[in-house]
This record gives sequence, structure tokens and C-alpha cells, in this order.
Amino acid sequence: MNEAPLVLVADDDEDIVALVRLRLERAGLAVVVARDGESALAAARERRPRVAVLDVSMPGLDGLEVVRRLRADEATRGTGLILLTANAQEADVQRGFDAGADVYLKKPFSPAELAARVEGLLQDSGGR
Amino acid sequence: MARLRPNLRTPTEVYAGVSVVLTAIYFALGHGSIAQSVVYDGIAVASGLAIVAGVALNRPARPLPWLLFAAGQLSFAIGDVIFDVYERLGGSPPTPSAADVFYLSGYPFIAAGLVLLIRGLGIERRLAGFVDAGIVSVAFALLQWVFLMDGPVHDQTRSVADRAVNAVAYPAGDIVLLAALAAFFITPAWRTPSYRWLAAALIMLLVADEIYGLSSDTYSSGDWVDAAYMLSYAFFAAAALHPSMRNLGVHRRQGRRRISAGRAAVLAGALLTAPAALLVQRLRGAPLDVFAVVSAAGATSLLVVARMTGIVRALEGIRVRERAARAEAEAARRQLAEQNERLREADRLKDEFVAMISHDLRTPLTSIMGFLELALDKETGPLNEEQRSYLEVVSRNSERLLRLVDDLLFAARLRSGGLELARQELDLGPIVRQACDESKPRASSHGVELVLDLAQAPPVLGDRGRLFQLLDNLISNGVKFTPEGGTVTVAVRPAGDRVALEVRDTGIGIPAAEEERLFERFFRASTAVDRQIPGTGLGLYIARAIVDAHEGTISVESEVGSGTTFRIELPAAVRAEQPAEELVR
Repeated sequence: MNEAPLVLVADDDEDIVALVRLRLERAGLAVVVARDGESALAAARERRPRVAVLDVSMPGLDGLEVVRRLRADEATRGTGLILLTANAQEADVQRGFDAGADVYLKKPFSPAELAARVEGLLQDSGGR
Repeated sequence: MARLRPNLRTPTEVYAGVSVVLTAIYFALGHGSIAQSVVYDGIAVASGLAIVAGVALNRPARPLPWLLFAAGQLSFAIGDVIFDVYERLGGSPPTPSAADVFYLSGYPFIAAGLVLLIRGLGIERRLAGFVDAGIVSVAFALLQWVFLMDGPVHDQTRSVADRAVNAVAYPAGDIVLLAALAAFFITPAWRTPSYRWLAAALIMLLVADEIYGLSSDTYSSGDWVDAAYMLSYAFFAAAALHPSMRNLGVHRRQGRRRISAGRAAVLAGALLTAPAALLVQRLRGAPLDVFAVVSAAGATSLLVVARMTGIVRALEGIRVRERAARAEAEAARRQLAEQNERLREADRLKDEFVAMISHDLRTPLTSIMGFLELALDKETGPLNEEQRSYLEVVSRNSERLLRLVDDLLFAARLRSGGLELARQELDLGPIVRQACDESKPRASSHGVELVLDLAQAPPVLGDRGRLFQLLDNLISNGVKFTPEGGTVTVAVRPAGDRVALEVRDTGIGIPAAEEERLFERFFRASTAVDRQIPGTGLGLYIARAIVDAHEGTISVESEVGSGTTFRIELPAAVRAEQPAEELVR
């Protein structure tokens, strides 16, 4: 199949969602967006994206909880997970990795770097 | 040197010394000679005049008591002269004589002077002092009566006038003097030299009177008792001449009241007087005035009860005050704890606020900087040079804003939790190079040259991110405060068992007086403020925190107008194999 790999982007800030989506689409990826933790979880289960880019602080379920649940679910365990946070203390980073994130990016991040990280995760999860 | 100098320097000492010598000479002269009379009366008159001189010399706030002493002494002196005239004219003077008139009128003057001095001390407010004085006076009065007055007063062989003067007036005068002396004894003035001279003078006078009283019938001029009278005169004058006489009549707060051993002994002696007098008279087989002993013992008992009441009341007062003080201290402590709690809470809220603000600033900054990056990306589409240069200004300023937000958040975290380092062994060279590379665009847009001066140096045990932050901080400071055409040099070199890192600029400098405060939170050098160079005053605070966390030191050397050098020393990482290598060499 020659379909573009699907990436989930979840953030409660509209502009950031737009920014990430633009950059990822420019890189040739398909993007599905969510505005809170619940819908991010639902979209991940339904659409099975290869990578999810999640903001840590979202209304309802926060990014850390979404990561935990995705990792706990057999169906979504293999998703590449990137956490974005504006609150990048060492303790936060540790919590993110403990929850099961693959990449932790601090806001403000460079869109180019984010795209590179997504590509990297896509390559890791290669054949699937 | 001081020890070799004669001790007789002050007027008091000179006067007392000369008087003692004259007293000695007095007894070397012929018994009852004119020369003796001249010496004796000279000492007497000189005493009264010397007291007046002492008042003029020392200028006490209240001269009246001393002038009364002078009057009393002069009255005694006149009595002495008259007594001598009687003796010159033919033997012993009659009893009572004109001399007795002057002798007796001396006592009220001296007693009045003492009472005034004591009033000046504010002693009348202190019950304990008065009771003590009363106990001693009662005891002395009893002795006076039993051993001196009782016999002669009832001696029918003597004239009424003789009995009135010698058996009643003199001993009564002595009792008055002793009462005043005793009241004085219990004041804090006891420690002043002037008081001691005065007390010595009064004691001499009392001793002389007692001896004279017991042997008045056989007395003639030139007897040994004259020594006590002469010394009494001399000591009175010495007291008035001493500078400390100024403080004698002045009320001073007593630090703490205490009962000295001497005072306790005097009081015990006074209390034992009645039974002792009883015993002595009994052993002597002498008649005893039971009424006198009983009334003295009764008076003493009442005084002791008064004294004890005072003590108990004082103790209660102390206990009440202590309880109040303790309650007050407890209240103050509680208030302080509450205040501390409030302050801590306020501090916590403030740090939380700063963290929240900085978080909320990051989110819009993410969009600003992200979309800028997209806009400047060639893939987005061509921009003309002008548009590109505008967007680069926006980009530079968003980075500045981000740095500010980072600094604020970092400072807030430092305050609330301190700094945790992820340390590893690393070389400073590459970090310095990276920091310089990142600062290069800003430096060149400022027209400032960045120079690297890296020598081979041992690695340090450090947190890469924090050390980068430190260098970035210092370098951007250097660039910011250096005018166009200047240089910022970053040097790394070994310094013993440490690694030295220097950031030198040729900038505006920092006044020496401000160097101390430079690393304080929010402090900004006046040179920076005057030139309106933007900044938060957090950069060097953060720099020092990072250096401190690495167990290093940071110092500054600066001269206004010519530049500033920050020098950091970090301990070199200790390698286990290093000593061995050195041995091989």
C-alpha cells in the first residue's frame, strides 16, 4: 500500500495543532487531529495512527494519561508517542518517560525537529 | 611607668595623705602644747573649707548637702577652737560649755546633709533599704542606751546640764548619724569612692564620740581619741574633693538588688544585739533596763516582719512578671510562626504564579516561533529581502522573550527547590564552542567580535545543559554590554586542580561598589540601567546558582568604561588512573 502514514496530533491550542499539522503534511504525512485527551484516545483506537503527538496539559485526560492508556492497550501499544509540554522540568520529563513516551519535546519546539522525530519513529516501527 | 609614679595625684588623695601625716605629727608634738592646738584646729577648719572647695571643684547638681556638711564641720571646728581657748585659759572647760553648743549644732547639719543625699538617690521609695537601716539603727540605739546613756542619765551626782549634754545629746546625735549612714549603706552609692570616704569619716566620728563618751571625765587635748576626730575631719574633706561626689546625690537605676555578705553580716549582728546586750549585762552583773531591751527587740521584730513582707511581695511580683513575660514571649513566638507560615505561603504562591505565567507564555511563543520557522522555510514560498529581514527581527526578539521566560522560570524553581544536576565527565571546550556558535549571529549584528581562547584542560564533572546555559548567559551578557567594535573573549585553561573559565568583554563595565551585589536576584548594575539596556537582573543570579551547584566559584573584575571579566573555576573531575599516569612520568 502506498498510503501516507497517519499521525495523530492532539493539543488544546488550535494554532499549535495547525502548526504541527502543516509541517507534518509538508513532510508527506497524513494527519488526524484531536482537541482533548478523550477524543485523542478515541481517535487513536479508531484510526490506529503510527505516531501520536500529544500535548501534556489538555482538558480532561492529560497527555500522560493518554500515553499510559495507549501503552496499556494491546491494540495501540506499538504507537510511536511524542509528548509536548510547556512545563519542562526534569521531573516532568521523567514522568513522561515513565508513562511510556518515546520522545519528549519542550515548547517552544522547532517544527522541523518535531517532523524529524516523527520520521524517526516511523522508521523505527518500519514494516508495519 | 605608671606604677613608679606616686599614688598621690588626685586632690582627694593629696588631702587625705597630708592629713594623715599631720595627724602623726600631732602626736609627736608636746601633749597639750600650743602647736598641737594649731595643728588640730587647722585640720578642723581646713576640713570645712575643703568641702566648700570640693563643691566648687566638682560642681555637683545638688550642692546643698555638701554645704550642710561644710557648715557642720565648721561648727565642730569653732567648738574645737573654743575648747582650746578654755584649756589655754586654765584647764578643763565647764560642762556644758560654749564649745558644746557648737559641737551639738554640728550634728543636725551633717544629718540633714545625709538625709538630703539619700533623698536624691530616690531611696525613700525602697522599703527594704529603710527597714535595714532601721534594724541597724535600733540595734545601735540599744547599745548607746545600755552602755553609754543609761548610767550617766540616772547619775544623780552629775548636774542636769552635764547629763543632758554628755549623756543624752551626744549619744543621740550619734544615733541620728548612724541611722543616716545605715540608710546610705544600703544604696548602690556604696561602690563610689566618695561614699567610702564619707562613710569612713562618719565611722571615725562615731568611734571618737563613743570613746569620748566613755571617758569624757578624764579627757584632755592630745589624747589618742583626737586621732579619730582629726581623721574624721580629713575624710569628710576627702569625700567632697573626690570627683565621684557628683554622682552621690544622683538617682541611678540599680541593675539588680542583691544582699552582699557584708550587709547580711551587719543585719545579723544588729538582730543579735538585744540578746547580746542582755547577756553581757547579766555576765557583768550590771543593772539592765528591761524596758529598753524589750522595746528594741520589739521594734526589731516588727522591722523584720516588714522586711519579710517586702521580700514575699517582691517575689510574688517577680513571679507575676515572669508569668506575664513568658505569656508574652509565647504570644510573640506564635505570631512569628504564623507570620512565617504566611510568608512561606506567599512565597509559594508567587513561585507558582511565576511558573504558571511562564508556562502560559510558552504556548503562544510556540506558535510565534513555529510559524516564523515555517514562514522563513523556502518550501513555503519566496520572500523578498525586506520581508525576510523583518521576520528575522521578529525571530530574534521571540528568542529574547523566550530566554526571559526561561530565566524567570528557572529563578522561580531555584527559589522553590534548588537545582538538580545531571552530572557527567565532560570537556568544557566543545560546550564553549557550541555556546559561541549560537551567540555568533547576535554578536555580529551587534558589531562585536567573539574570540575563543581554548587551552588543553582537564574535564569537569558537570551538567551539560546547565553549563551551556551558564556560558550562553555570560556570553550574551558580554555581547549585550559591549559597544560596537568591541570584543568578547571566552577562555578555558587549567588552574591547578581546577578548570578556569573566563568571559572577558571590552564593554561598559560595572562600578566597583556594585560588584558585591551583582549576583543578587533582580540586581542590575547602574551602568546597564543608565544606558537602558534591557534585562531582568536574573542572568548572573542564575549563573552563580549553576556554579554553586557545581561546587565552583564565580568572581568578577571590572572597570567602568574598559570592560568586565567573569572568572569561573570548577573542580576538575578526578580520574582514578590519573595519579598512576603521573607516577609513570
